[in-house]
Amino acid sequence: MMDLEYLKKSPLEKFGFNFINFFKRLPSAFAAFFRAIPKKLCKIWFAFIGVFLNVFTAAKNGDWKTRTSFAVMGFGFFFRKQYLRGVLYIVFEATFVLYMVFFGWKYLAKMGSLGEIACVEEWDEVLGVFTYKFYDNSLLILLYSLLTIFIMVAFVYTWYKNVKGNYLSQQFEEAHIKLATAKDDIRSYANENYHKTLLSIPVLGLVVFTILPIFFMVFIAFTNYDKAHMPPHELFSWAGIDNFVTVLGGGVSANSKIFAYTFGEVLLWTIVWAFFATFTNYILGMVVAILINKKGVRFKKLWRTVLVMTIAIPQFVSLMFMSQLLADQGLINNLLLKWGWIDKAIPFLTDGTAARITIIIVNIWIGIPYSMLICTGILMNIPQDLYESARIDGAGPIKAYMKITLPYMLHVTTPYLITQFIGNLNNFNVIFLLTGGNPSSLDMQFAGKTDLLITWLYKLTVSETQYGIASVIGIFTFVVVAVFSLILYNRSKSVKNEEEFM
Amino acid sequence: MADLSLKHIYKVYPNGTKAVNDFNMEIADKEFIVFVGPSGCGKSTTLRMIAGLEDISAGELKIGGVVVNDMEPKDRDIAMVFQNYALYPHMTVYDNLAFSLRLKKLSREEIHKLVVQAAETLGITEYLSKKPKEMSGGQRQRVALGRAIVREPKVMLLDEPLSNLDAKLRTQMRAEISKLHSRLNTTFIYVTHDQVEAMTMGTRIVVMKDGFVKQIDTPKNLYNYPANKFVAGFIGTPQMNFFEGTLKKNGEEVRIDFAYCNAGITVPCSKLDKVRPDYLNGETPVYIGLRAEDVSVDREAFGNNKAVVKLRISHVEELGSETLLYGDLNMDGDGYSESLTKIVIKDDGSGGYRAGDVIEAALNTERIHLFDKQTEDCVLPRIPEYNYLDCTVSGGLLNFLGESIALPPAIECADGEYELLIPVDALKAGKDIGVKVETCENICGKTLLSAELNGKMLYALVPETVTEKTLKLDVDFKKITLLKDGVKVIEPLPEVSRLDGLFVKNKVKKLTEADGKVKTVKAIEFSLETEGKRFTVPDTLAQKLFAALGVRKAFNSPLKIECGAGSLIFGENGINARVERMLDYGAEKFVKCRVGEKFVYLLADKDYDGEVRIVPDLDKIGIIEAERNIRII
Amino acid sequence: MKKYRSKKGAEKLSLVIIHTVLAIISVIWLLPFLMLIILSFRGEQVGMSANYLFPKQWSFDNYVKLFTQTKFLTWYGNTLLVSVIVTVVQTIIVLVTSYALSRLRFKMRKPLMNVMLILGMFPGFLSMTAVYFVLKEINLTQNIFGLILVYSASSAMQYYICKGFFDTIPKSLDEAARIDGASRHTIFFKILLPLAKPIIIYTILTAFIAPWGEYMFSSFIMLGDPDKFTVAVGMKSWLDNSTLASEYFTIFCAAAVVVSIPITALFIWLQRYYVEGVTGGSVKG
Repeated sequence: MMDLEYLKKSPLEKFGFNFINFFKRLPSAFAAFFRAIPKKLCKIWFAFIGVFLNVFTAAKNGDWKTRTSFAVMGFGFFFRKQYLRGVLYIVFEATFVLYMVFFGWKYLAKMGSLGEIACVEEWDEVLGVFTYKFYDNSLLILLYSLLTIFIMVAFVYTWYKNVKGNYLSQQFEEAHIKLATAKDDIRSYANENYHKTLLSIPVLGLVVFTILPIFFMVFIAFTNYDKAHMPPHELFSWAGIDNFVTVLGGGVSANSKIFAYTFGEVLLWTIVWAFFATFTNYILGMVVAILINKKGVRFKKLWRTVLVMTIAIPQFVSLMFMSQLLADQGLINNLLLKWGWIDKAIPFLTDGTAARITIIIVNIWIGIPYSMLICTGILMNIPQDLYESARIDGAGPIKAYMKITLPYMLHVTTPYLITQFIGNLNNFNVIFLLTGGNPSSLDMQFAGKTDLLITWLYKLTVSETQYGIASVIGIFTFVVVAVFSLILYNRSKSVKNEEEFM
Repeated sequence: MADLSLKHIYKVYPNGTKAVNDFNMEIADKEFIVFVGPSGCGKSTTLRMIAGLEDISAGELKIGGVVVNDMEPKDRDIAMVFQNYALYPHMTVYDNLAFSLRLKKLSREEIHKLVVQAAETLGITEYLSKKPKEMSGGQRQRVALGRAIVREPKVMLLDEPLSNLDAKLRTQMRAEISKLHSRLNTTFIYVTHDQVEAMTMGTRIVVMKDGFVKQIDTPKNLYNYPANKFVAGFIGTPQMNFFEGTLKKNGEEVRIDFAYCNAGITVPCSKLDKVRPDYLNGETPVYIGLRAEDVSVDREAFGNNKAVVKLRISHVEELGSETLLYGDLNMDGDGYSESLTKIVIKDDGSGGYRAGDVIEAALNTERIHLFDKQTEDCVLPRIPEYNYLDCTVSGGLLNFLGESIALPPAIECADGEYELLIPVDALKAGKDIGVKVETCENICGKTLLSAELNGKMLYALVPETVTEKTLKLDVDFKKITLLKDGVKVIEPLPEVSRLDGLFVKNKVKKLTEADGKVKTVKAIEFSLETEGKRFTVPDTLAQKLFAALGVRKAFNSPLKIECGAGSLIFGENGINARVERMLDYGAEKFVKCRVGEKFVYLLADKDYDGEVRIVPDLDKIGIIEAERNIRII
Repeated sequence: MKKYRSKKGAEKLSLVIIHTVLAIISVIWLLPFLMLIILSFRGEQVGMSANYLFPKQWSFDNYVKLFTQTKFLTWYGNTLLVSVIVTVVQTIIVLVTSYALSRLRFKMRKPLMNVMLILGMFPGFLSMTAVYFVLKEINLTQNIFGLILVYSASSAMQYYICKGFFDTIPKSLDEAARIDGASRHTIFFKILLPLAKPIIIYTILTAFIAPWGEYMFSSFIMLGDPDKFTVAVGMKSWLDNSTLASEYFTIFCAAAVVVSIPITALFIWLQRYYVEGVTGGSVKG
């Protein structure tokens, strides 16, 4: 509907028009979204069916070599002289069986109860003291059963690959097409399959140190793992959605209400913080960049180097130093008192509101050099003829900034802004090193006035060992971050589309 | 140093779009082939498929007689020059040239010799120690060429290599690439969107549009005999003049009326005797094409004073050597917009015409081009489809142009007057009709004979050039059509019958003799299933199917099988069919059979009746993958 | 004519203002660091509560104490070791992942990128407990290598900027190399890597700097073993309670100077590449 009527409108009217249209379009957008779901489900379903069909055809049409491969992985490859594949598959299968027999099943079997006996006190005859003998460790049971499930999934996938590959080899053989030899296979790992060579280790690292822990913590959220249930001395057990109820304020204990209140407060501050931290940095950084890059300004390199130097100094150094300077008894307050500018120490970090403002200002100080750098790069990329034509059309510097620089920058840096926003939602360092989340508040559970979700989470885990609750908070943090980033990404995408459309 | 063969090459993207459609071409050794067309026409895709940078969705690509479909680019013995040169920026020119040789693990001396040799050929010896960044566009282009020739490839592929150069350098490099071609004696395939480049460099040009090949011919033939409106408009500057109009036969003359204006010309009927008669009814709209040099302000220029139109000059372009007059046949038209009455005239500028003048211009009717309005195909082709004649049938005799021939029993029709269409390939040397040979010309590998019979031209395709003055011809009756008032009375025997099919595999027990013992061995056989029967497929055919569709897909794709009359035979274990009718064409006999809902035609040696069984001759059939409509064989 | 002159005058004035503003900004940005340096030379023990900036007694005492009476040197060594190894591992992983995602086409490419995007949204700390117990099982808690493992294991997720850089290298180079007979492997090593120098340096620089400022993971893994602290954890421990803080404040300043100098020098030396990486990578959508 980019018609002439629309183009005639003034900017304000355009904004209003778009605003109304956005909400007008929402229902249909939702409808489209839900209408797409059955199609997606169908697609998944067909992929699922496809897998079964493949296995079924392999079973039906396979010769004895292929069929034996159902039980002995890689068997068909051996008999078709693809020894390398055969060896790899059979070694994998053997390893898996050994793992399951000697390790995996023990834990998997206990996953339902998370263990029965934690530890028993025993009289040690030799030493003459009571010693503990440890049995079930709920934590390890959960961790290893998860690991086992991961490995089982990997096994099923490999098994399917094996069946498919064996049947394909059979078909190739029947079609008198030369089969890949071990040498071909090895060579393919530097060519068509090079991605497997390159990505196996990075992905393995991701799975073990990121994905597995995330699943683990999601499961922990459904247990009563806390101070009172601390392995190895105690067991913890499944607790359903109790933790979620507690955090959302539906719990029976008095704690629950406070938790819910704290969560709301912290969430609100997190969002406010992320918004201000992102945009103040961005806009002021852009202003500084424009100042430095203005025609006629001298010592450009010097100004830039001064700012860039501050990026290099480790953040924790500057942040901790700042927290010392700004303390009630810190140098700045002392100096100001001495000079008689103030009568009483300014509570930079000890008053709730003041602390919040201080944090944002310090963050500006930390962040501007970085955003200045980015803006500089982009400013230099703005085609000069845009400005020249604007000048010919009679635009002054301010007008040129509003009509050319800002829209261009916003358009180009949207992805950067989004990542910055998300980064700030999870910004641990600034808060933790500057205020540590303080000043603390009696209304809130284990959280201070300046705590973000992530620092609250840190406190809950490290000092309060409320693991179950912490996991729930972690999941909520993820949801908040994911929702924001998805909305922002979608918005920026639609902006891009509109651009194309115009 | 190799010939290429592209058979039924397709490029189909996963979303179903076909970038290249049924590309067929034989490229001889040492040819300079140019692919030309507007952007997005599939020319680059085809080149990249030849290079091995894109997978071939279906079809067979041979280089030097070897199928290379599944070969890595490096094993195809090709070299490629890219549009942006793609020189390795971090290497010196020497290293750029030596890169491929080092990967081949040649000795250092050998590499040095080859690099220096290639550099000398292109005159870049002095730059060998420089990096690409330090050189100008033209020099980089030379290095890119050098990197290609240093490997002494069988085929050189060039993907718009000159489009990044300025106009002057482009002309110079054009000549140099041509020189390189004659020196290297290698097959060149060159992709460009610039028709001037194509015309000046290619020995043969492939014009493409929207993934389809529009015409393959020499530059001269493309210019003189465009096969469709697209080629006519694409080749040549200024662009060919196109008008819309109708043709009306009027005795021995044809009146051409131009639409949207009052202009009209008259040409003798003999000039348009290759045009299908239904275009001459004065109603079917056609495009009329005339090049700017075939229009003249001199009324007498082309010696036909009935082919003169009036026009108003809208503007004049002085080019120095010549003058272009822009005008409009429609006196109210402005001559600027792309209308169907706009006209451009190439003139020597002596007339001193100015905008606004109304003048008369003569049209060269010898070189007029006519295109169908819907299909945009040429309706005045060099090789006509049919000979269009009037005839009468009486008592089993066919009378036309004073000759009378006995009709075979297969053609049964009532006495009366008919229009007769004899395809050009249905006239063969024989004994029935005596004709006077006029010309015999070679067109695109075919020989067209034009002969006179009682004042009317007959056209026939003959196997080789005829030197005799007179010749006797026979009519192949199975190909002729008889029309009465525009309705087909007699139709030609269909060339192919189509059957649905599926490629399947089955396990069989085979008896083999080894060491004097007879053993049963289980084996896998591939067969084609059609109409409930299976026919064992020869290995070569199975391989072609696998190559085109992949081992897994080959068994799941529905196929269409095309059988010519000669590729079906009677045999045991065949498809059940019912004989509908015997068709006796004198020399040959055919059987029309019903299979399910379809009809098939077979060559027969005797009369058949009732139920028969038919077996396809798998060496002669054509196969089409039905889902994506891809021809495989 | 008059108008022309006045315009020139206004321009001159605005330039003066801009220069003043820039000077003020520079002072604001540098002042804390100057204070840091000045404080590190303070000889007298007055803690933070002193109400003057310039020391009454300039001395190197803080530096001497830093190296003789504290574990700073151990921490410094720890951090350096971690930094160097993490830099090597992370650079390799990032380059390899970026190449695969930018140049190779495989079925799982898009899903993998999406998964990494989503993983990036999880608060990294959430997985800390699990990682801790995984490390504990393989005896890598309170161990430098445990920390190295944690830092480098998920470095594949840093691929974004590097991939953006690879995407700008024309694909026709790869194709030309393929025709010249190079395998994907050869293309990576012989064509792409030599062209990726700026982004390699950028990756090295960011990977090297990160462990010096990282607090969250290292404090958790090294909990309770001061011999294994990194500088960030160690220096924070000095300021954790106020009695200790007043004693160690000037030493902290000295340590900060010692930590900052090499990194800043490195940074200023390689500034060009850093700027290139930051601007190039973050602009691409």
